[in-house]
Amino acid sequence: MNYSLKSSALVCMTVLLSSTALSAETFRWASTTDPQTMDPHAVNSAPVLSFMNNIYEGLVRRGKDMSIEPSLATSWEPLEGENGWRFTLREGVTFQDGSAFTSEDVMFSYQRASNEAADVRSWFAPVSDVRVVDDFTIDFVTTAPNPLFPDSIANFMILEKDWAEGNDAALPARDAENFATMNVNGTGPFTLASRDPGVRTVLTPHEGWWGEAEHNVTEAIFTPIGNSATGLAALLSGEIDFIQPIPLQDVAQVEERDGFKVLEGEETRVIMFGFGHEHETLLYSDDVTDSNPFTDPRVRLAAAHALDIDSINRVLFRGKIQPASQLVPAGISGYSEANSDRPEYNPDRARELLAEAGYPDGFSFGLKCTNDRYINDEALCRAAASMFAAVGLNAELSTGPVRDYWPQLREDDFDMYLLGWSPGTFDMEHPIRFLMHSQNDEKKLGSWNFGNYSNARVDELLPMIQQEIDPAARQALIDEVVAITQEEVAYIPLYTQPLIWAAKDNVELTQRADNFFLLRWVTVN
Amino acid sequence: MAYFILKRLIQSVFVMLAVAFLAFSLFRFVGDPITQMTGVETSVADQERLREELGLNDPFVTQFVRFTGDMLQGDFGFSYRTRQPVAEMIADRIPATLELGIVALLISLIVGIPAGVYTALRPRGVVSQTILMTTLIGVSVPTFVIGIMLIFLFGVQLGWLPTFGRGGTVQIGGWESSFFTVDGWRALILPAITLGVYQLTLTMRLVRAEMMEVMRSDYIRFATARGVPMRRLYFKHALANTMVPVITIIGLQFGGVIAFSIVTESVFQWPGMGLLFLESIRFVDIPVMGVYLVVIAFFFVLVNLIVDMLYVAIDPRLRVKDAA
Repeated sequence: MNYSLKSSALVCMTVLLSSTALSAETFRWASTTDPQTMDPHAVNSAPVLSFMNNIYEGLVRRGKDMSIEPSLATSWEPLEGENGWRFTLREGVTFQDGSAFTSEDVMFSYQRASNEAADVRSWFAPVSDVRVVDDFTIDFVTTAPNPLFPDSIANFMILEKDWAEGNDAALPARDAENFATMNVNGTGPFTLASRDPGVRTVLTPHEGWWGEAEHNVTEAIFTPIGNSATGLAALLSGEIDFIQPIPLQDVAQVEERDGFKVLEGEETRVIMFGFGHEHETLLYSDDVTDSNPFTDPRVRLAAAHALDIDSINRVLFRGKIQPASQLVPAGISGYSEANSDRPEYNPDRARELLAEAGYPDGFSFGLKCTNDRYINDEALCRAAASMFAAVGLNAELSTGPVRDYWPQLREDDFDMYLLGWSPGTFDMEHPIRFLMHSQNDEKKLGSWNFGNYSNARVDELLPMIQQEIDPAARQALIDEVVAITQEEVAYIPLYTQPLIWAAKDNVELTQRADNFFLLRWVTVN
Repeated sequence: MAYFILKRLIQSVFVMLAVAFLAFSLFRFVGDPITQMTGVETSVADQERLREELGLNDPFVTQFVRFTGDMLQGDFGFSYRTRQPVAEMIADRIPATLELGIVALLISLIVGIPAGVYTALRPRGVVSQTILMTTLIGVSVPTFVIGIMLIFLFGVQLGWLPTFGRGGTVQIGGWESSFFTVDGWRALILPAITLGVYQLTLTMRLVRAEMMEVMRSDYIRFATARGVPMRRLYFKHALANTMVPVITIIGLQFGGVIAFSIVTESVFQWPGMGLLFLESIRFVDIPVMGVYLVVIAFFFVLVNLIVDMLYVAIDPRLRVKDAA
C-alpha cells in the first residue's frame, strides 16, 4: 500500500482549520486520567507526557503526522569524528517566567532527566557525554552510531535551570513533592494558571511563545473524568467541549446527536498474545503437565491459525481495528513491507499442526489477560479462548486489573498472555528492543519480553539496527528480524487498537496516533 | 460525661489501629505500586531500586510499624501517585464528601420523617401506597444507575443541572464550600439525591413502623381519650418516642454514607475522598489508601459517639440512669 496515503489516513486525523477569524475562546476538555505530576521528567507515562507537551518543549517535536520537526533546536546533524548529534538551538526563545533559553538549560535538563530520580532516564542510555559548545549549540555524544537518537528524545522536555535550581527542584520528585510537581516554567505554547490535582487544571497561552499560534484558545480547563458514562454525559450536556477517549459502545450515542462528532483514528498500539517460551511445563494445564507444548513453533502457529481476526473485528470492535502482521502497524518507520502477511484463519491447518506436534487432541493451558488496560480486552480474550477451543486448545482464561497483571507476568505466572505495545520511539527498533531481544537486565534489553523469546540472530541484529545509518540497509536488517520472529511465531500480533475521541462540532483538533492531545492545534469556532 | 467521651476516643485509637492492620495486610494483594509509578521503558533495575527506596521489600510487619509509627507522629507520608503529602490531599477532599453527605442526610430527614409519619397515619391511602412503591424502587435500583439516570434526565435531556463536579465553590479558612454559591448548590442537588435515596427510604420506613407501633400503645390511646389535639399528639407524644431507634439507625448509616459515597462520587466526578480513594486503588497508591481507611474508621467511631450522646439528649430515662 502507498506509504504516504496509508500513513496520512492512519497516523493522523487532521480536520482542516476553518478560515474564519480566530476569536477568543475557553476550551474545556476531559480525559480519564489526571497527569500525576507537572514534572516532565518524573513519570514516563502517556497522560503526563501528553499533557506536559502543552507546557514544555523538547529539542525536537512530533508534528500532526508524527514526523519529527524542529522545536527548540532548529537543526541537528551527526557529529564529525565521533558518534552522536550536534543540535543547533533556536535563538530568542523565552521561558514562561521571561528568562532566555540557552544551551545551559538543555544541559541542565539532560542532567536532571538522566538522573536516577528521573523516570525518563532510559532515553539517555545511549548517551555517553553531553557538551555545551556555545550558547546555542550542544553536542550529545553516544556510545555507538545512533541514527534515531533525535527521534527518541521528542518528549525530552527542557526546564529552566535557574528556576529549577532556585526552587529546590533540581531533581525530579521521587518520594515527596517538590516545586516542579505543582509549578511549571517551560517554553511551550501554554502555561499553568491553576492546578487542583484530580479536579481541575487550567492552562492559559504563553504570550511570549516563539511559535505562531494556530489555536484560538484563551483558557483551557482540564478535568479528569474517570467514569466513562459521566464523561459522555458531560460532553452531551455541553459542559465540556472534548473528551478522550470514549468507549466503542458510546460511538453511536454521540454520532446520532446534532452538534457532536466522533474522531476516529488508529493508535500505534499493537495487541498480541505472547508465550512462555522458556517455561519447561505448562502451569495451568489439566492434561499436559510434563512439558510445554508452546516451545514447539508448530503449536504457536496453530494458535495463530485458530484466531479469526475478521470476526473479532466485526463483532467486538464494530470494524474499527486493523489486523496486524508484526509488532508495529503499517506506516511506522521500520515496518516490514516484506512481511505484511499474517497467519490466516484456518482451523483445519491449526488442527493439522497440532497433530504434527504430537497433540492431535489438543491440550489445556492458562491464558492471562487484563480487563481494564486495552479496549475490550476481556471480551477479546473470551472470544480468543473459544476460537482456540475450536481447534483443541482449551484456554483456561483468567483476567484481572492491570495493577497486578505485570507483576504476575514478571513472575512467569502464565502459559499464554495478552500484551499491547505502543512503540515509544515510533520505530520498529523499539519493540525489538523490549519484546524480542532476549531478557538482559544488565544491558536493559528485553525487559517486557516476559516469556523470554530468545533467538541469537535477533540479539545480534538489534545493535546493528540501532547503529545502521543507511535506511535501506537498516530496513533489510529489520526485515530479517521480522521474518525470523514470524517464522518462529514469537508472538501472535492481532491488531492495532482504534483511537476514539468525541468533541462538539464547533471544535477543530488533531488526533495524533500516539494518543497525545495538543492544545496548540485546537480551534473553537 | 467527659470520662465517657475520653473512653470512647481512646477506644477509637484501637479501632483505627485494627483497621490499619487489616488494610495493610490486604494491600499486598491490590497490585504492584512500582509498575504503576514508572513508565514502560523504565528498566527492571531502576524499578527494583525504587522498590527498595520506598521500603516495599521490607517485611509486612516492618512496613506496618513504620506506617502507624509515622502516623502517630502526625506524618501521613506522601502519595505514590502524585507525590503530594497525603494529609493535605485527604484534608482537601474532606469538605466535598462531608457537604455531600450532610445534604444527603438532610434530604433524607426532611423528606423521610414527614413521609414516614404520613404513611403511618394513613397506611391505606393512595398517596401513602404511591410513596411506598416509589421509594421501594429507589432502594432496589443500584446507586450508580440512579445517578446515571438523573444525570441523563436533568443534565443531558433537560439541561437544568450540571452533570459533574462541584460547580462554584468558596474558600472559607481552608474549607472549600459549595454552600455559598448558586452554582455550588445546583451541582449538589443530583449527587445528594443519589446518595440520599437509600437513607430516605430507610428513614421513612423506620419512622412509619415505629409510628404505627407507638400509635397502638396505651398512652396514645389515653391521650386521645383525654382530647389532646391530634397535631400535638402526633408530633409531640408519638414522634418523639419513635426517635431513639431512628436516630440510632440514621446515625450509624451516616458513617456509611460518608464511607460509601465512593459510588456517587465516581458517577458525578465529585472531588471527595471517595473519588480520591478510587483513583488511589487504580494506581496502587498505598499511603493514600491506608490513611483514607483510617480516617473513615475514625468517622465511624465519631458518628457512633455522637449518636450515643444524642440518645441521652432525647431519652430522659438515660439521663436519670447516668445521674444515678
